Amino acid sequence: MNPADGTRVGVDVGGTFTDIVTVHDDRVNVTKTPSTPDAPETGVVNGLEKSADDAGFEFGDVAFLSHGTTVATNAVLEGTWADTTLVTTEGFRDVLEIARQNRPDIYDFDAEKPAPIVPRDRRFEVPERLDERGNVLRDLDEDAVRELAADVADSGAESVAVSLLFAFENDDHERRVAELFREEGVDASLSLSSDVLPEIREYERTLTTSLNASLKPVMDRYIGSLDERVRERGVGAELKIMQSNGGLITAEAARGRPVNTLLSGPAAGVQGATFVAQRSGVEDVITMDMGGTSCDVSLVEGGDPLISTDVTVGDYAVGVPMIDIHTVGSGGGSIAWVDKGGALRVGPRSAGADPGPISYGRGGTEPTTTDAHLLLGRLDPDRFLSGELDVAVDDVRTAFEAKLGDELGMSAAEAAQGVLDVANANMQRALRVVSVERGYDPRDFALVAFGGAGPLHACRLADDLDIPKVVVPQTAGVLSALGLLISDVLYDYSVSRVRRIEEVSPRDVRDVFADLHDSGAQRLADEEVPEDARFYERTADLRYAGQSFEISVPVPDGEIDEHAIDTVVERFHERHEQRYGHADRNEPVELVTLRLRARGGVDTPALEPPASEGSVEDAVREERAVTYGGDARETRIYDRAELPADASFDGPAVVEGAESTVVVHPGQTADVDEHGNLVVDTGGGR
Amino acid sequence: MVDSVTLEVIRNGCAAIAEEMNANLVRTGYSPNIKERRDCSCALFDADGEMVSQAENMPVHLGAMPFSVKAAVETFEGDLGPGDAVLLNDPFHGGAHLPDLTLVSPVFADPESEDPTLVAYAANRAHHADVGGSTAGSVAADSTEIYQEGLRIPPVKLFEDGEVADDVMEMILLNVRTPGERRGDLRAQEAANETARERVHELVDRYGVEELSEAFDEVQDYSERRMRAELEEFPDGTYSFEDVLDDDGRGNTDLRVCASVTVDGDSVHVDFDGTADQTEGPVNAVLAVTSSATYYAIRCVTDPDIPPNHGCYRPIDIDAPEGSIANPKPPAAVVGGNLETSQRVTDVVLGAFGTEAPERVTAAGQGTMNNITFGGTDPRDVSASAASGGSSDSSDGGSPYAFYETQGGGFGGRPNGDGLDGVHVHMSNTMNTPVEVLETAYPLRVRRYAYRPDSGGAGEHRGGLGLRRDIQVRGHVARFSLLADRQQHRPYGIAGGEPGACGAAYVYDDEAYGDDAGERLPQKSVRDLDPGTVVSVRTPGAGGFGDPADRDTEAIARDLDLGKVTEGYVREYHGLDAPDAGGR
Repeated sequence: MNPADGTRVGVDVGGTFTDIVTVHDDRVNVTKTPSTPDAPETGVVNGLEKSADDAGFEFGDVAFLSHGTTVATNAVLEGTWADTTLVTTEGFRDVLEIARQNRPDIYDFDAEKPAPIVPRDRRFEVPERLDERGNVLRDLDEDAVRELAADVADSGAESVAVSLLFAFENDDHERRVAELFREEGVDASLSLSSDVLPEIREYERTLTTSLNASLKPVMDRYIGSLDERVRERGVGAELKIMQSNGGLITAEAARGRPVNTLLSGPAAGVQGATFVAQRSGVEDVITMDMGGTSCDVSLVEGGDPLISTDVTVGDYAVGVPMIDIHTVGSGGGSIAWVDKGGALRVGPRSAGADPGPISYGRGGTEPTTTDAHLLLGRLDPDRFLSGELDVAVDDVRTAFEAKLGDELGMSAAEAAQGVLDVANANMQRALRVVSVERGYDPRDFALVAFGGAGPLHACRLADDLDIPKVVVPQTAGVLSALGLLISDVLYDYSVSRVRRIEEVSPRDVRDVFADLHDSGAQRLADEEVPEDARFYERTADLRYAGQSFEISVPVPDGEIDEHAIDTVVERFHERHEQRYGHADRNEPVELVTLRLRARGGVDTPALEPPASEGSVEDAVREERAVTYGGDARETRIYDRAELPADASFDGPAVVEGAESTVVVHPGQTADVDEHGNLVVDTGGGR
Repeated sequence: MVDSVTLEVIRNGCAAIAEEMNANLVRTGYSPNIKERRDCSCALFDADGEMVSQAENMPVHLGAMPFSVKAAVETFEGDLGPGDAVLLNDPFHGGAHLPDLTLVSPVFADPESEDPTLVAYAANRAHHADVGGSTAGSVAADSTEIYQEGLRIPPVKLFEDGEVADDVMEMILLNVRTPGERRGDLRAQEAANETARERVHELVDRYGVEELSEAFDEVQDYSERRMRAELEEFPDGTYSFEDVLDDDGRGNTDLRVCASVTVDGDSVHVDFDGTADQTEGPVNAVLAVTSSATYYAIRCVTDPDIPPNHGCYRPIDIDAPEGSIANPKPPAAVVGGNLETSQRVTDVVLGAFGTEAPERVTAAGQGTMNNITFGGTDPRDVSASAASGGSSDSSDGGSPYAFYETQGGGFGGRPNGDGLDGVHVHMSNTMNTPVEVLETAYPLRVRRYAYRPDSGGAGEHRGGLGLRRDIQVRGHVARFSLLADRQQHRPYGIAGGEPGACGAAYVYDDEAYGDDAGERLPQKSVRDLDPGTVVSVRTPGAGGFGDPADRDTEAIARDLDLGKVTEGYVREYHGLDAPDAGGR
């Protein structure tokens, strides 16, 4: 069945909710069910059943099923990965634990180094050595490998990582180790560094390979169980998993490469936000996903999220390409406090979801960002204060006076405004990190805000940073699940070839790309991606000789010849100039890594625009006083669901939706576009 | 009066400016020293030249930059205009050691006006891979006068009215081995200060000059209040501690470093009286470096969360006898003062606090940076020599290279846990050079890179392990320079902990290379190495914290399993033959 014909389902498992978005007969349906952290597959199946009921499809109709998962992420964050054995070149088993020699915090004596993924007594050395071009300096000692294999087989290790020096230049020794292990009866899963991350820098490659090995059994169990349960219910479509790079792979591939899924959910969110922004005609965006405890921000240029190869997950910098997502501990539940020096601080401690802010009425007593919004009239007390406990606005006010106002010499309202100012200052820093610090000017971007708390802050942040436009998607609460429906299939391949550019032979580059292309083509064919939907993007990482940071530039289509290489070098100079402000065409240039991305295009489903009936006036729920920067203004409160397409109104305004509330500040104007997205013009930009 | 909210918002803004300068410097910097090792720091100062915020990668830069701004301001006394930037490196005029080049730029509120108003200074410091002198890399272990250590730059205007002063730039470039790289790094330093200018202008637009200046003061007062509150918690009294540097590389040994720390209410006085007279070899630490090491130690024993700025230092008063290794007079050789003596200063200041409050400090860390430099001509056809940057003026066939790195070792045993193994301690925090990058870029081969078992001092909490890194010279004669310490006197233990193991360095012929000790290399020396020679650098372990008898037997067994200690060590320090908790 062509996926475009049947029912398409995206399932994103978050900490609290499992979100399901389906497209059935061109109609979008959104379902939220509680997550089941101990066995996430249970929540997925529950959600699918509920969704099938709501949207009216049969499991057998499902033609496309994609999934964002935190199984690998949680295993890393909680240290619950599988016992793993690591094999290294003789003399280098400690590379994994020494890391890069810097300590985690300069001044804090209590700061700990991240635990090595494989402890020292499970790291073994084999005699062998390659040089920097992959030439054999010392043959692999096969007897020693066989001896080690017998020990590993006896130890019952679940997983084995092999990472030998310069294996990215020549994988013979790693492959031979694998063969010998199999011959000697090692049946644990194997991860070779020349497969997982064939790139220069032994620590990063070894860490990534070890992580992959340690996550394989975890991912394998989860996907095995999930797959079985959806099959039982009659789903025939192949399960696809979102990777950290924003592309889908088959569940089978994910079992072999779990390290590629560490940012699965957040990457899907960025994909969803990018999709929505593009439909609203914006290609350059900063995404901001603010929930209860943290805020994730990322930058999208020309419709493509920025990709980085040194994103940190938990304590580990993982070398595989991931969407460059920056996280700060600022959320709706962030707790405000006065420190010993008399300064007002917000976070990083959070009241989380339980007990949550005071206004949740679940027993929270510490003033939070959400409570500040309530006191200033941005959140509706009548709608919001619906917890089991009887909490009144006065209780929140009393807490702000007692815990903040008295110490600061401020009223509760002033303290609440202060809490928002400080929280915004924290988030401004995060937005600057992904833009200004990467060489981008925020004035050239639109801000796409989602998550429960994002739209409360976005318009003010945009003002502060002179960002001209804020987009709040209609589906702000389930963007990750939406992202799962519109993302392409992506397989990234790479191999390091560190050479001065004048030493690079076009034939070698051609051969490397041909190998990578074969791997990618095979993959896409296996997944039955139609011929005309297969795309291959070739890039090369270059640097000035002696530098240690590379820049990725596209390699021109067609045959690789001297001219193509010259073009790549020129693109490198241009990109260097653009990003770093200078370029020197007399400096020698070095090739470092060749990359190929195989893309299987996915037809994006047609989504029906929202019904547009009634007038803007009909959408006004009430008027109430809302405070902006200390000034109370009578403000119209709109019901998002009632706003017609093409609605247009001026700030100040508050727009209340099912999942989030948008605060439009005085001087700003808001429009609802044809896709139901709220677009706020801040008057900023350049 | 600035309220608590504006204070926090502007404090955030100032911290962000320093961080953004730093990100920009690392991003646009040319050399691996800045981009990969991140041996650089940035700071924002108020119109009086007092520090408002700092983003430091290197603790040794922490308290030293204010000396640079002061020197720049005093030299030009009001003769600084918009678009000017002052460069300096001379340790006797606001610098620390010659490879650290500092650029100071005034920031005016209204640069276009007739009489512009000064509101701030931006400054950044970066370690340059070469500034001339007798040895490639400018970390000459055998220097005896500063003249041998490289080009001295007093405060000079490198930029005037937004334009680079070509004569100054050319004079600098003519005196260094890798001019292309220097030019690139200096350009990045200017770009970092330009970032600060733009961002300060945004703050001026938002708050106005008056409120911003008040906020700068308040940010400093805030840090001062918090620092004083922390100091108040220490009992009043004078605490003393002393330790030694092994030698100066010129035969002068056991150089004393003494600290008397007097806590009086909410202030502290640190006196280095008794410290050895300045010496012939390059281990003299100028007062800026001694101050930096002292500030670092005090920051660690108080609350590291206090924003670093001038306010933190107001309650701290430092005296170091003039003409000592903690405050030398010209023309002392100083390159190792910044690298090695600074570590010992930290050791004694922490040691002094530890006599009263061991729970606030750690045992001694490795106490050295184990600086090594290889230099020569790459025999390979086309080399990827980093330091030459392709524009060296050397013309003897192959490409000249200089490879400099420092090595981590043990971090001291801590009140709440074992010391970290194989990390940079105290005044340093750079990243290492990956083996694969090193071998690709230079005609060198790494033979081994591993922990040194048994090197951590025994204790209830074991000291961190030192490292062993063995590097072989390939196909050419290389000049090798070693500048290290803690090879004669072990890093001290605390609260009953044992000291850590000394470091050492050996050389081997290719055939003789192995586990046995080779020929011992003097710890501060320069020598030519034949092709195939292997240098084995063993870095010190750290001291232990608390009585080894109190160590948890499971922790002992775990260390044994992991091969971080041997059975002999366990017998000697813990009196156990075979720990029974899971030992094998």
